Amino acid sequence: MAGKKLMLGCVLVVVCAGAAAQEIFAPEMIKEGADRYSQNCAPCHGPRMADPQGAFDLRTFPPDQKTRFLNSVTNGRNSMPPWGGLFSADEIETLWAYVMAGEKK
Amino acid sequence: MRTILLLIAALTLAGCALGPGAYDLKNDGRNPDDVLTYGMGYSQNRYSALSQINKTNVKRLVPVWSLSLESNFGEQAQPMLLDGVMYIADAQWTVAIDAVTGKRLWRTAVDFPADTARIVCCGVSNKGVALYHGKVIRTTIDAHVIALDQKNGQLLWKQKVADWTEGYSLTLAPLIANGVVVTGCSGAEFGARCFLDGWDPDSGAHLWRRYTVPGPGEKGHETWIPSEAYLHGGASTWITGSYDPELDLMYWGTGNAAPYNPENRKGDNLYAASILAVRPKTGEIVWHYQAVPNDIYDWDTVWEIILADIKIDGKTRKVAMQMNRNGFLYVLDRATGELLSAKPFTEVNWATHVDMKTGRPVESETSQRLRAGEQIQLYPSIRGGKNWMHAAFNPNTGLLYAATNEGYSNYKLIKVQPFKAGFRYQAVETTYSPVTPKSVGGYFQAIDPMTAKPKWRTPIMGELPGSAILATGGGLLFTGKHSGDVIALDADTGEQLWQFKTPSGVNAQPVTWTRNGRQYVTILSGSGGTASQRRGMLDIPLGGSVWTFALMPD
Repeated sequence: MAGKKLMLGCVLVVVCAGAAAQEIFAPEMIKEGADRYSQNCAPCHGPRMADPQGAFDLRTFPPDQKTRFLNSVTNGRNSMPPWGGLFSADEIETLWAYVMAGEKK
Repeated sequence: MRTILLLIAALTLAGCALGPGAYDLKNDGRNPDDVLTYGMGYSQNRYSALSQINKTNVKRLVPVWSLSLESNFGEQAQPMLLDGVMYIADAQWTVAIDAVTGKRLWRTAVDFPADTARIVCCGVSNKGVALYHGKVIRTTIDAHVIALDQKNGQLLWKQKVADWTEGYSLTLAPLIANGVVVTGCSGAEFGARCFLDGWDPDSGAHLWRRYTVPGPGEKGHETWIPSEAYLHGGASTWITGSYDPELDLMYWGTGNAAPYNPENRKGDNLYAASILAVRPKTGEIVWHYQAVPNDIYDWDTVWEIILADIKIDGKTRKVAMQMNRNGFLYVLDRATGELLSAKPFTEVNWATHVDMKTGRPVESETSQRLRAGEQIQLYPSIRGGKNWMHAAFNPNTGLLYAATNEGYSNYKLIKVQPFKAGFRYQAVETTYSPVTPKSVGGYFQAIDPMTAKPKWRTPIMGELPGSAILATGGGLLFTGKHSGDVIALDADTGEQLWQFKTPSGVNAQPVTWTRNGRQYVTILSGSGGTASQRRGMLDIPLGGSVWTFALMPD
């Protein structure tokens, strides 16, 4: 239980001050996002976000634009379809965790 | 009673008088004013004998009209023509156009949910309509088949093919064979279990369904181990089949087995990656040839199946030919399914050769490493030695004309995640060799069907092949490029003789036709499909349009 609280605490720690802000994510959350990404997102955005072809290069996604990310995934953007019908808000949060912290940049 | 019978007969005749009928479809090409079948003839030769536009005067080819299609999804369709009216489809619209003036006569919107785009592997697109008895018949991305009135575009009937939320979609042009509308399905990247359907053209009534992945009790089901693997086995039918009216056989190719990683589907997995000869009235599979047993490479076997009568060892044979995604050019006896030739037309490293006794490919050491879990450099890339961009065949030269791909994939099978409706069901990681301005993305080639060797080939620099090829009696090949050019090549040498830059990328299918004795060439422009995801293609503006060309008058 204490471990879980600690994990939640880690997820919620957001340093808001300044451009150097960096969220910290629980490894389980990143792993869940990685699996979801690998199955559903990699075909267009590239395996592990590398080689994204013409799709958006997610390795360059600005960390301070989380709302934009969540909106784009949920409702679609440009040639990307909306995923809100398939993923819950919590599941999309795991994608955010993976995109922010899942691969070395 | 007699009056009623006469009345029924009169009404029937009136209905049949609306074109085109079965005779017209069978003889497509004899009247060059019309283009009535996918592939410009049931044999899908994409060859027209028209020669008014030829090698000496093609430099005078100019656009005579263009029309915006108001769609950013991309244009892949082959236009159809009947009695001076051109019929075009894309994902968003069905459009009728005065073929000579370019004036839009009517258009009807396709109503589909925006979410549909996530169950489409390779772009929201459509490859065109079929015409029959006064109707324009087409498929929709949310897995319906519909019939519109040729006169005004009003909906006459609409049938649901499958539930799109389960990963099914339709992009192909229907085939009308022996009075039956035949459609297929897409969705092998989403664990769909695909099929062919037969529909009554007049009422839309469903006549039959033939699953391309056999279920329990059906022949071929034993090739899925464990048994339940058939439920999500793929074998999509996403390119229109060809048809031999004399043999009354349709020829349809089937897509990859699903998922790509075969850990949960041992066996040959019939009828994935196969060519099927099918009766249009019943859906009966008369013969099959499986090009890739237990496919693990996305070796779709759906590309156009070209029918021709060619001389082999001094004897004329009725053949079906396919330049397969897997890099081999297959020639089969189309009455029996006997394999006559299977030679590579590009670099192939997944198989050493095709065993002509068994008809099976002999997998290479590279493939064995892939099956063992290693990442390999796969030739051809999983885009294929050739992608859907249809080849042409000129019966007078006996040569195929195709746009082929160069390059490789870094390819690895990964763990299969449990099937969930609407989710990708592939279990693969793949990246491609880079395409740079200085690299050869592919070749235009003139190929001998039996040797698979080129008579000539011309490199396509800095981009992948974009469009189908049309061969003409004027000694020309017409095609289009992702960069937006429509081009004409000398069919004897591959030399480019003419080009015209359209406003977007061209990944479509040219046709040629006549009206009042004048020859025209029409092709759609509009980047879409997988092109919208390709490296180096981002600077190509979107936007669909139709372009019709003719010779500048003296």
